[in-house]
Amino acid sequence: MSQVQNTADNKTVSAEISPLRQQLKEFWFYFSENKGAVVGLFFFLFIVVIAVLADVIAPHSPIAQNREVGMIPPFWQEGGKIEYFFGTDILGRDLLSRLMHGARISLFAGCIVIVISLTFGVLLGLSAGYFRGIYEVIVMRVMDVILSIPSLLMALVLVAILGPGLRNAMIAISVTYLPHYVRLARASAVTESARDYVTSSKVAGAGTMRLMLITILPNCMAPLIVQASLSFSTAILDTAALGFLGMGAQAPAAEWGTMLADAREFILSAWWVVTLPGVAILLTVLAINLMGDGLRDALDPKMKRS
Amino acid sequence: MFRFILTKLGVLIPTFLGVTLIAFSFIRMLPGDPIELLAGERGVTPERHAELMANLGFDRPIWEQYFSFLWGILHGDLGVSFMSRQPVLEEFLTRFPATVELAGCAIIFAALIGLPAGIIAAVKRGSAFDHTLMGISLTGYSMPIFWWGLLLIILFSATLGWTPVSGRLSALFWIEQDTGFMLIDAFFSDEEGAFKSAVSHLILPTIVLGTIPLAIIARQTRSAMLEVLGEDYVRTARAKGLSSFRVIGIHALRNALITVVTVIGLQVGVLLAGAILTETIFSWPGIGKWMIDSIFRRDYFAVQGGIVLIASIVMMVNLFVDFMYGLINPRILHRR
Repeated sequence: MSQVQNTADNKTVSAEISPLRQQLKEFWFYFSENKGAVVGLFFFLFIVVIAVLADVIAPHSPIAQNREVGMIPPFWQEGGKIEYFFGTDILGRDLLSRLMHGARISLFAGCIVIVISLTFGVLLGLSAGYFRGIYEVIVMRVMDVILSIPSLLMALVLVAILGPGLRNAMIAISVTYLPHYVRLARASAVTESARDYVTSSKVAGAGTMRLMLITILPNCMAPLIVQASLSFSTAILDTAALGFLGMGAQAPAAEWGTMLADAREFILSAWWVVTLPGVAILLTVLAINLMGDGLRDALDPKMKRS
Repeated sequence: MFRFILTKLGVLIPTFLGVTLIAFSFIRMLPGDPIELLAGERGVTPERHAELMANLGFDRPIWEQYFSFLWGILHGDLGVSFMSRQPVLEEFLTRFPATVELAGCAIIFAALIGLPAGIIAAVKRGSAFDHTLMGISLTGYSMPIFWWGLLLIILFSATLGWTPVSGRLSALFWIEQDTGFMLIDAFFSDEEGAFKSAVSHLILPTIVLGTIPLAIIARQTRSAMLEVLGEDYVRTARAKGLSSFRVIGIHALRNALITVVTVIGLQVGVLLAGAILTETIFSWPGIGKWMIDSIFRRDYFAVQGGIVLIASIVMMVNLFVDFMYGLINPRILHRR
């Protein structure tokens, strides 16, 4: 990923050694020092490839039912067939294909949740830290209220209001993540606003929007990026949890949590439909968290080599 | 100290009002008509519908409804559950001990393993133990606990037959619920083996609910210890010739605990959210399962009251943690 950015930067800043390139180099130096982070990154890229190519590489359709081949075990077990690599579920749907398409849903949900909560969180937090006064008090109190209700309960009630489904689950989860971004963005905005460089660009005639988004925001990014990497993994977990409780993605969607909910009744008879979707969730989330650790080491100088 | 508490309370009151406002408006935004839900398949005539709406107070202006809701909270009246026709507060209180028992065991389990593991990892930093522990704790932190619960049931209940699958006590026993805490009630009951049954029902849910707090506590203890071990006073203590045990156990640990106590306290919200999933998997009759059942049944007043009560508990515990934090670390109190 960083290489792509590298080449893009080469085009824009061709002269001398660009400071951005230097930064990226330094970033990679610290990131690659953490072996777990590198492993996490490669596994994550592997899942991304599967998610993107799911339509092409999945051997079967994720939702087409075939009653004749229901509950076939994985191929290495007795009665298994090689064309159904991880076996099939009760409706004869190929588990491997469903897991592949599930990767797509989970990563998509994680991305959307981050985009929504980061955008609104940064806007609210920056403006609260910039304008201060009664507006700041109101925004922060509302965030306190959201924080005092356990996130899963809040998300469940919101989905009950909006109606079950993947889209509403993503919106509900984004709302529960808002306070973290708002607090971080506000805290940085308050410290940064007092700095000389902000005052000088204000004197130079920069408008409010420019001051907030172009002068202040870039200097608040590091903690926000770390928080985003943390909430990417929890967003995937929460989406799966809502799916498991029947409030997230609805059947026949091949969402990992929803698949687990369907598999609950086969706990004793078919281990593969119960274990494999969970393994997929665990490994994906673990890879992202490993990556997040490396990201924190590389971005937060205070935590370096601790 | 007095001023410190007053400031905290000053923030708490608007937050509490905000919670009541959110709970109040949320249930009025829920799709569906409460009366049709109550009437079920039979249906109601329009006159009867209006009469029932009036009985529930839904015909009054919205602000009047809100203030009577607030007035009710001040008097300990949270309305009546649609389904059970019992007062919401009573419904909540009968289930609350089950959740407290489960969450309490989970946090004790997490702290008993997480604290020593984190301390050892910090002291033996870079060792194989350190790396293994950090790997395990990151895995625990990434665990989808609803799946983890299913796995444990497959292994310990279905395959090995060691623990029961659901509930708090075997149906063979009937014991008087004096305190609501099954462990205590079963311990003091005359029934032979009831206590053992209660314990065996608790084991799996405790592990499942305690997994994420355990991972967080181990990680945070380790990093808090590492930070403290690098401080000058620890070096001074070593230079004075104190034994490692004294340096680590008394000089370092006490200061590291400041962070750790806060971390443990902040797990309450995580525990209550996790309780929804854990109680659903193990059919544990606590408030998590009650809340999710109420949401599914659109039991308006139960959801409304439940949100207010749960949020109040989270706020109280956070206040208590702040207070404890101030006690252990006097620097906080004298700031400003």
